[in-house]
Amino acid sequence: MSFPEKLLRSKVFIWTLLVLPGLWPVWPVFVSGNPSVGADPLKYVLHHYGFVACVLLATVLAFTPLRVLFPKSKLALALNRHRRLVGVAGFAYALLHLTAYLFHDGWATLVHDVWAKPKTFILAGLGAFTILLVLAITSVNAFVRWLGGKRWKNLHRLAYLAAALAAYHQIYARKLFPVQVLWIFGPLVVLEILRVVRQRTAANPEAREKM
Amino acid sequence: MHLRFPKDWALPAAAVTPEPLYRLAQRREFLKTLGIGLAGAALLRPSALLAATAGFPAKGNPLYPGTALKPTAEEYVTSFNNFYEFGTDKSEPKDYANKGWKTDPWTVELAGLVNQPAKFDVNELVKKIGGLEERVYRHRCVEAWSMVIPWDGFPLAKLVALAEPKPEAKYVRFVSFNDPAHAVGQKEGNLDYPYVEGLRLDEATHELAFIATGIYGKALPNQNGAPLRLVTPWKYGFKGIKSIVRIEFTAAQPKNTWSVMAPDEYGFYANVNPKVDHPRWSQASERVIGAGLLGGRQATLMFNGYEKQVAALYKGMDLAKNF
Repeated sequence: MSFPEKLLRSKVFIWTLLVLPGLWPVWPVFVSGNPSVGADPLKYVLHHYGFVACVLLATVLAFTPLRVLFPKSKLALALNRHRRLVGVAGFAYALLHLTAYLFHDGWATLVHDVWAKPKTFILAGLGAFTILLVLAITSVNAFVRWLGGKRWKNLHRLAYLAAALAAYHQIYARKLFPVQVLWIFGPLVVLEILRVVRQRTAANPEAREKM
Repeated sequence: MHLRFPKDWALPAAAVTPEPLYRLAQRREFLKTLGIGLAGAALLRPSALLAATAGFPAKGNPLYPGTALKPTAEEYVTSFNNFYEFGTDKSEPKDYANKGWKTDPWTVELAGLVNQPAKFDVNELVKKIGGLEERVYRHRCVEAWSMVIPWDGFPLAKLVALAEPKPEAKYVRFVSFNDPAHAVGQKEGNLDYPYVEGLRLDEATHELAFIATGIYGKALPNQNGAPLRLVTPWKYGFKGIKSIVRIEFTAAQPKNTWSVMAPDEYGFYANVNPKVDHPRWSQASERVIGAGLLGGRQATLMFNGYEKQVAALYKGMDLAKNF
């Protein structure tokens, strides 16, 4: 087993990669005293966790197309061992993001933007969060058994909708189009297109079924 | 016994930065610019001395004192900036506006429907106007955050008087600089440049409308719009055009940059109004800059707390339509 493969198979390594971005805000908020962050530190935390949630969501969705496109790659296979872990981590960051939002903007603002004068960008964010919540809850083995493989899989396809809603949410949170969104979700879109092309052109019908 | 009922906009006395401390800091800066320790100061803060420094220290205007409002810590006001000419992230202008972009010497032009078209060097203009005064104003960004800033400058009305607008002049159009070689955001073209803003003539001559050349008793740092910028405290911050090069008097309503970019989101008036939402977020409350990790959300006030002074300007207007 090669070193990169060993690394990517390691639960400890993946856990470390998933936890570190959560600790990152400690540096500018408490240690370096960066005044651009200190002006509104919670806003920084809020944006950071939202950003990490989007990155993880795009990352975990890229695992399957990577496996399909590179069926012989041990690395792609190693990554696919961690789909649940990375997916649940994405939900955890979305939860941190929402919690930071509730402290930053307050319940009154949320109710106003959802109920009194609905804002599509807030609704999109909440929609993505709700999907991730359902997927996180149903990610435990008992639910997989209870729902049955096929139904479970169909339910978890909602992750694509969550990604689309998250991208929309991220774009419309800003005054100008944030280029960031392109490099977070762009590669995923490219991979998915390649995957569909590959599946359509796969001569072997057996291979098609495995997808 | 005399009972004192605080006004609704007044903060409790305990929340106010002790004035002697604030004044002391100002005086130290003043002594520095006078020449005591000049060599050292010049080495440490060359930009502060290169910028327009005429007229400092400014006299406090007792009508807009720093005692009723607690000024935001200076480091936040100078490192949390929306100045897209130098990048869209709030940390960027402090960096990119201080990399070879020169704000001294600076010429500002009075043009359009006026009897006295002229071009002024900023320092000359300050002298001609008759010096600077300090006013502490609330500052409310359209992004739902707020600061309190001690500005140094002069009433815009004095500048308008200098230009002597003709009777057909109904609006004032402000144009900022255009220098893509030194302004990374202009090079990227993140907005249509140069940045343009506008006011109705009666707004421009209102006592609150202000041209700032300084903050905290010192010349404006580049990232805050050196050497002179507009301050209209009852309007959202994007109306406060920075680094002005041209002030033009017109008959037609000027097209301001943000309202051209997104006409459904940013209007010409841009008056602070907690009842009229931005299409994508609420304007009912605001985050107070510098209040720390878990502090500081407050209700937004009509016209940013200047309703008494400016409401008459908009009498009979539908403020939801004329946002």
